[in-house]
Amino acid sequence: MIVKNTGSETNIKLPFSFIFFSILALLISQFLILFNGDAFINGHFRIPAIWSAAHLFILGWALMIAMGAMYQLVPVAFLTPIWNEKFGFIQFAVTAVGVVSFAIALYIIPSKALIPGIIMLIGIIMFLIQMGMTLRKQAKPNILTLFVGSALVCLFLTIIMGISLVFSMKTGFASNYYSILFHSHLLLGISGWFTLLIFGFSYKMAPMFSLSHGYEMKQAKYVYGFYSTGLLFVLLSFVLDFSWLFKCGFFLLLVGFSSFMWHIYLILKKRVKKKLDLPFRFALLAIIFGEMIHLLAFIACISNQFASLAAPLIVAYIMLWIAYSIIGYLYKIVPFLWWTHKYSHVIGKKDVPALKDMINEKLALPIFLSFIFGILLVSISIALNGQMLFYIGQLLVTAASIVFGIAILAVIKK
Amino acid sequence: MNLQEQIALVDKIREHLKKVMDPELNINVVDLGLIYDISLVEENAVEIVMTLTTPGCPLHDSIIGGVKHCVLELEEIDHAEIQLVWEPAWSPEKMTEAGLKAIGR
Repeated sequence: MIVKNTGSETNIKLPFSFIFFSILALLISQFLILFNGDAFINGHFRIPAIWSAAHLFILGWALMIAMGAMYQLVPVAFLTPIWNEKFGFIQFAVTAVGVVSFAIALYIIPSKALIPGIIMLIGIIMFLIQMGMTLRKQAKPNILTLFVGSALVCLFLTIIMGISLVFSMKTGFASNYYSILFHSHLLLGISGWFTLLIFGFSYKMAPMFSLSHGYEMKQAKYVYGFYSTGLLFVLLSFVLDFSWLFKCGFFLLLVGFSSFMWHIYLILKKRVKKKLDLPFRFALLAIIFGEMIHLLAFIACISNQFASLAAPLIVAYIMLWIAYSIIGYLYKIVPFLWWTHKYSHVIGKKDVPALKDMINEKLALPIFLSFIFGILLVSISIALNGQMLFYIGQLLVTAASIVFGIAILAVIKK
Repeated sequence: MNLQEQIALVDKIREHLKKVMDPELNINVVDLGLIYDISLVEENAVEIVMTLTTPGCPLHDSIIGGVKHCVLELEEIDHAEIQLVWEPAWSPEKMTEAGLKAIGR
């Protein structure tokens, strides 16, 4: 079979717009959390400053970076170019305005967050249209399409529920369902959108970075089956208020996550590359963290302690699984993007640097370790109400975020 | 060009292609086993059949372009045609000793 040139590389300015924006959002969100430590450790998460910081972190950093990465990864993973790049730039601008105005509104006057929220909603829907149209062009949909497609559906539902929450807060509409909406918003946003997305792209990136060959993919459908059924069970438990359904759901989520970890282990057993890069090893470590948090969440469920442990578990899940995976993979993706822009046309004509020479790998160890210890300290401080622990932990996370931002920005000087 | 000269030129092209590195693995395309066949179709024209380690390789366009540029650098070659194939699929067995050593095997 002869293959034609795919021509599927995305204009570098598009993913980089998202990446630069997201680094700024990461830094501001971490400083906001640092300066509002009292509320954070006392479990007062529903105050404007924490709302603002949480949304800036989740939407401004994690969501924007996921979008930027998808503009680069979808064409290469699904062998189809982005549907409309110009639409992508407009989508970036609308979403960026929405995220910034939403974070400001949440901080100053939460009751006025509806209009910024709608702008953000439009930006995210534009992204969903872009991805939907791009994936539609894929010649042969596969299990990765299912993971990424389901993640996009979860993102859509998350944002619809989020807007309903803001609308409910402003008008009292559906106030009886506020709690159901809020819990579903968290579940679908964190475990639905991010986890399914990371699962999907890990299946592409883990074999690529380890040069694994001859592995099987049949286990992926069990991972998808267990995890998505778990999500459905937990979602239904919010609506029907059945605790057994809640526990069953968390058990299935644990089984799904464990199957994913086992499958990645099997893939890596077939690797040709003996020594894996440090950032990739940290992205793999995030899977172990995710597994531990799923296990702890299930134990908390069956011992009826989930309500009191939900906050530290969610913080640890977002930071040690989601953020850690993103940071690990980003350390690989950003050098690739810049390398492609700067050196892809001279490869074969003159000597070009290797991808690992594009970013300071020596900084990876202190950055990743600071994130781990910082997040662990913050999570423990919330569980134990320890002010000093919180400030040490959050200072470590903030410092690691600054160095991470510098390391990423330094790539464009190479 | 007689047969011996043709064989010598193909060897020269293969050696020259070692300038094209996979930037992720830092191994050249020859030692990585990506070059399946080099054939001279005319006096100054070459056809190279090659593969990549995975169909969704993000360096797809860069590596193929690199192979073409590299071959065209040779004064004996005026025209290069690159055919990317997925069958037979790449496997680690296609790597050379030097390639395997570079990857830590």
